[in-house]
Amino acid sequence: MSAVAAKPTAGGAMNPTAMAVGVVMLIVILGACWYVSPTLGLTALIGIIIGGVLIGFGTHFVPVGGAPAAMGQAPGIATGVAMLAAGAGLAGLFGGAWAAEQGMVIAVVTGGIGGGMMMAITCMMVNFVYVFGMGIPAASGKVLNDPITGDSQAEYKSQGTEGHGLPFVSFVGGVIGGILGGAGGTLIYLELLSLYEATFPTLMSATTAQIMPVAVAVAGMFAVAMFLVNAVLTAYNITGTIEGPHDPKFKRWPRAIVASAVASALCGFVAILIVAM
Amino acid sequence: MSVKVEVIEGGVPHNKIMIAGLVSTLVCIYLTYLNAYTNTEMFSFFGGLAVVAALIWGSHTIKVLCSYGIGTGVPSAGMIAFGSGTIAMLLATKYGMMAPIVALVLAAIIGYILGYVSNNILNMKIPAMVQALTEMAVVGALTVMGFAALISGGFTFAGLTTSTASFMGLPITSYANSFIGGGLIAVAFLLGAIAIQHPFNACLGPGWKQDRMLMLTAECGFLSMIVAAVMSFALISAGSALISLIIAIIGWAYTYSQYFEMSKRDAAAWLDSKPIPDVEGH
Repeated sequence: MSAVAAKPTAGGAMNPTAMAVGVVMLIVILGACWYVSPTLGLTALIGIIIGGVLIGFGTHFVPVGGAPAAMGQAPGIATGVAMLAAGAGLAGLFGGAWAAEQGMVIAVVTGGIGGGMMMAITCMMVNFVYVFGMGIPAASGKVLNDPITGDSQAEYKSQGTEGHGLPFVSFVGGVIGGILGGAGGTLIYLELLSLYEATFPTLMSATTAQIMPVAVAVAGMFAVAMFLVNAVLTAYNITGTIEGPHDPKFKRWPRAIVASAVASALCGFVAILIVAM
Repeated sequence: MSVKVEVIEGGVPHNKIMIAGLVSTLVCIYLTYLNAYTNTEMFSFFGGLAVVAALIWGSHTIKVLCSYGIGTGVPSAGMIAFGSGTIAMLLATKYGMMAPIVALVLAAIIGYILGYVSNNILNMKIPAMVQALTEMAVVGALTVMGFAALISGGFTFAGLTTSTASFMGLPITSYANSFIGGGLIAVAFLLGAIAIQHPFNACLGPGWKQDRMLMLTAECGFLSMIVAAVMSFALISAGSALISLIIAIIGWAYTYSQYFEMSKRDAAAWLDSKPIPDVEGH
């Protein structure tokens, strides 16, 4: 096989053995966490895993075009998965962190809305640039009709391209992805923050008010780091570009769920060990 | 199945760079411990040198991994390196003097598991994946630790979260005025993440030359060190921070001029264009 003909990396196939190993790893980490910190730590870890899975699943919705999209030869936003997921997720995380005092539900919803807003603005401006700057219509290359509006796509697609611009379904996918990513990032942050608020005062023998800067910084740093790990693993899963929820690559999400769960459990366990040991 | 797109022709083999990078990073980080022995902060600049050494190793690892065409862009490799590395580094700081060694081991474990996850569960099937992600997590952890030592003069959890300020003659402990509590770790994180992914991203292609890419990495490392040295004025004494800053500027100027020379060497034709001459007579 020549280097040109070779498709980069992963196919759509699942690897059942590796998936089973992943689930076993997940259970082992959960067990280890129960051993070192049965109540506080385990609750936090379960929240972190849910947050990580939300990030991993949400990233599949985001229309990522990469370099071909920058040249108007593929649909999507013209940058990489990791950049887009980080942009949307961190916007959501900052939004949610502001609302952390208001309780779990409000903060997570705020984080989701922050991420969704970020993606909505990005998708909007991307289409502005495509339509008014580059003079190309939005057309999907993967489906004949837009699954939501039912609009026909093939007439608008230029020959020799895989579609271009940002069709309506990709826009909606981007917003859903932003909401899930932002909510997941905020959930990780909140779980770690409440854990550190409860344990740092005894660990560092200081009052809660004194250790707040440290607790916020450590929780925020762990949340950002876990967000990036999950986003990059999902980027590896979809190998570069995806059009949105109607793309055939979207069907690969079960792999990303297992991968994100294992990665978040591992990173979350390390984050819990900082106070449990 | 994936096909390796580029080949390494000549140059130093990767294992040699890995061992040299690992040893010099660890030695440099431990040299900052002279601060504690001599009760000064003069040796903080060794943290910056550790950062440069780790980044050189890391950018070559990224070259090994991204030669396979992972399809997600080179920056994603830098992001996962620092994402996994920072997690390991934060826990490792609790182990005092052993922190760099613990960070190394812990980051290697996290990186290995993430490598297994991406290679097998996500079905990437890239031969260099597991080793590359392991190495990059270690690079990420040691780089952030090097920045911590450069900016705050130490690498222990207590030193990174507290600082002693004087209030009306009485010493008080401040938590906000510290490497972690002040959020400087976030800046260090991105300074490193950008410096590690940029060199290969900028130099890749048919004209890739190992020495030119590594010189660019050193240049990026010293550039980050300048910023970190400026930040260190907030946490360590002005004289010590000045030493770091001067070393960073000298290192940057040297590596930048060297990189410029190598770019000229590798350019197809280098024409030194003069300013547009004044044409006389009209």
